[in-house]
Amino acid sequence: MKYNLLGIAVALAVWELAGRALGADLFAPPTVVFPEYVALLREGQMLRELASSLRQMIVGYGVACLIGIPLGVAMGRSRVCDALLHPWLSMFVVTSVASLVPLFILVFGTGFMFRAAIVFVASIWYVMLTVYHGARGIEPRFIDVGRSFGANRWRAFREILLPALYPYVITAMRIGLVHAIRAMVVAEMFIIVGYGGLIYRAGLSLSTAPLLALLVTLMLVGVAANALLRSGAQLIAPWYERRVVSASATQG
Amino acid sequence: MMRRVNALALTGLSLLTGLVLWEFAARDISRVVFAPPSAVLTRLAADIASGVLPLALLGSLATLAVGFLLAVVLALPLGFAIGRNAKVAAMADPVLNAIYAVPPVAMVPFLIIWFGLFFEARVALVFLMSFFEILVTVAAGARNVDPMLLAVGRSFGAGRSRLVTRVMLPASLPFVFAALRVGLVRAINAMITAELFLAAVNLGALMKHSAQRFDTAGLLAVIVLLCLVGLAAQAGLKSLEARLLPWHVRQ
Repeated sequence: MKYNLLGIAVALAVWELAGRALGADLFAPPTVVFPEYVALLREGQMLRELASSLRQMIVGYGVACLIGIPLGVAMGRSRVCDALLHPWLSMFVVTSVASLVPLFILVFGTGFMFRAAIVFVASIWYVMLTVYHGARGIEPRFIDVGRSFGANRWRAFREILLPALYPYVITAMRIGLVHAIRAMVVAEMFIIVGYGGLIYRAGLSLSTAPLLALLVTLMLVGVAANALLRSGAQLIAPWYERRVVSASATQG
Repeated sequence: MMRRVNALALTGLSLLTGLVLWEFAARDISRVVFAPPSAVLTRLAADIASGVLPLALLGSLATLAVGFLLAVVLALPLGFAIGRNAKVAAMADPVLNAIYAVPPVAMVPFLIIWFGLFFEARVALVFLMSFFEILVTVAAGARNVDPMLLAVGRSFGAGRSRLVTRVMLPASLPFVFAALRVGLVRAINAMITAELFLAAVNLGALMKHSAQRFDTAGLLAVIVLLCLVGLAAQAGLKSLEARLLPWHVRQ
């Protein structure tokens, strides 16, 4: 914890020094960004755009979780589902969201559907992939023990498989959220609307302070959402954290 | 063996069903809005034969190579240093998390200010998007080296440098490969993102022209090509891993 804070302090100090050396038109230091940040908060447009962008993102992300989690479980527990779905998963995971943007604009226009669809496509495959690895990795012993104590398939699923999956589901939601936020910004910057549009327009101004202020807000949103989901995982299954981290790191 | 054949058959069946559904959906709704796979494939073949697509791809890959290599060369040693030192790791952790939370595309205005609209800016975006991904994965790998392996090495009298080269490096190689695979996919994403968001060139320019003419077959041809490049990159790194790290049996 002490070193965490020290790390943040060092990063801020480096940012300040670099900012002073380069000047606000290249890289505004924190002491310049902070007043700008307060001004943007007061003015209110930043938070309004953020709220409306996040509302649209939540729809695409929510649908992706609702569909992706059960599909991931099915893939992890059934060879047939795995064989049927895996090729699509592999293809879409390597496909860049940005490359889909021009196509989606032609199909959906530039309204709500476009943004929700981009966020959906960007996050569902990562949700599926993470849950899939989790569902595959569950110790067969757990289920065997349940079976030998007389649990039928449904009970084994509900009382053994599901609890063992919770931490992976939360990790999947975390990873999906990172991709959902990225996709939201990609889509909005491309057509210059919403929060992404604000970022794009801020890039045209002479000082980099407003741009950095917008990025800081985005950073705070990401970190806060991540912390929320992480503490949820800690609450539900504290013993899993390490295992999930090492598993998801090697399997990409 | 039988099982494998069955799985392959199911995979093929799934792909075929998807293509057929897409074909009929595209035909029934409207060819203009969404090209059917037959049109996309003929388009892909025609654009490859005419040399337009390969030439654009080559230009794009040049950006990719420079940015990705820079990221690898810098991120690997840095990742090891962070992973093997608990204090440094604790210091870097919140900062890396914070940077990781910012979507790289949001950095594009910055890249324009610093590097302009052309080659340097594209390389910078590729670098940015793959660097942190590789760094975080390698750091996790270096941290997770089995302490037992290090203890065995030590009790057999290995000094610090031998411990690093003979135990730690090989033990974290699977993570290095995982980092390279994830990083390369991100780098390919960054490559096309840069070409669409900065000055449109190469594959990005092809996509923009197709989009302006409502030519979804042309758009999808580029998307399919990019997808194939991504899959090939993954497969290439996986087979390299299997050859170099035969002891690391996966699945």
